[in-house]
Amino acid sequence: MSIQHHPSDETLLRYAAGRLPVAPGLVVATHLSGCVECRARVATFEAMGGSLLEQVTPEPMEPEALARLLAQIDAPAPPPRAPAPRKPLPTLPGGILLPRALRHCEMGRWRWLGPGVRASSLTIAQDPSARLTLLRVGPGRKLPEHGHTGLEFTQILSGSFSDGFGRYRPGDLSEMDSEIDHQPIVDPEGECICLTAMEGEMRIGGMFGRLLTSFARI
Amino acid sequence: MTDVALGGAMPNGEELDRLIQLIASERDKQAFALLYKHFAPRLKAFLLRQGLAASVAEELAQETMLSVWRKASYFDPQRAGAATWIFTIARNLRIDHLRRDRSVSTPDPESEDTVDDGETGEAFVLRAEREERLRTAMKSLSPEQAAIVRLSFFNDKPHSEIASELGLPLGTVKSRVRLALGKLRTLLEGQL
Repeated sequence: MSIQHHPSDETLLRYAAGRLPVAPGLVVATHLSGCVECRARVATFEAMGGSLLEQVTPEPMEPEALARLLAQIDAPAPPPRAPAPRKPLPTLPGGILLPRALRHCEMGRWRWLGPGVRASSLTIAQDPSARLTLLRVGPGRKLPEHGHTGLEFTQILSGSFSDGFGRYRPGDLSEMDSEIDHQPIVDPEGECICLTAMEGEMRIGGMFGRLLTSFARI
Repeated sequence: MTDVALGGAMPNGEELDRLIQLIASERDKQAFALLYKHFAPRLKAFLLRQGLAASVAEELAQETMLSVWRKASYFDPQRAGAATWIFTIARNLRIDHLRRDRSVSTPDPESEDTVDDGETGEAFVLRAEREERLRTAMKSLSPEQAAIVRLSFFNDKPHSEIASELGLPLGTVKSRVRLALGKLRTLLEGQL
């Protein structure tokens, strides 16, 4: 299966630099786990990080810093953290598993958001303020409409939807700027499940948008 | 000990790789001290540029070097060079630090393997090639484009900060970032 829609270079660069907020970062990580091409790009941007690290003008450390660290490495290392028990990944409707990149998220129950639209919010222990949502939208239905002030990232997990920019299938990632008005509609063949996060504040738009906005704030 | 210790000159990439391998195989503290002298002050400077306070930058540079000592056996020079590997460790520690800062729970013990590319093998193909291509491509960008790419790497709100740093309107910056990265992509792919 070939992937048609990818994150922008800027997004991959920010991901590699560690500068993408948590929720969009997880959407991108989900994409990367299925996309060799984007992984190679991220590796290139990481190499850029390495080369920038080489090029900075060094800033002296505190005088005793190395000595302290050498003393610290002599002390016995803390016992390795017990590997977290591997919880089985939750199964999504249609039998697919929640992507492994999301294994540290807690999946909320599916809630009704409007006709043919359900959503489940994923919470991230490390960052409870992050907003990451699974959407499950019926065939022929519109994805919830919501303006937003930053970028919106949507990774298709199953099914497909189309908007003015093309058709998005599993493995594809749609990255939309707030300036672009697009209205994805799920293709008639079946339900679509996707993972979505946005940067910036959501603007209210349409009934679903209002619902999603209030939902995301719960 | 390697000959790195003998010359006072800045160690090159291969020598740095070798130091990490010595730490892994011999628990060689002298190799560690050399590596530390090279990287700790650079890490501190890098983290300062990313907007951290001096004390935090110092602490994270220390933590990064401690991780280098502990995780040296995971270093694989075929996947990434010393500087790149150490950069990714510092990046992940910085992310963990920022999360801790928001008074949330423990850092993700697996945060370093968010990408699971173990099975595909593509990582092994390219290290030397990737770094060489990148070097050539960065040199082929105009100075302004190279600056834009670098600033995108360091800034949290790249566009608005680049705009104020370069004295350009926001819209102009947005399109220039896109152009610079597009050119970089063409250059990287053109060399295939």
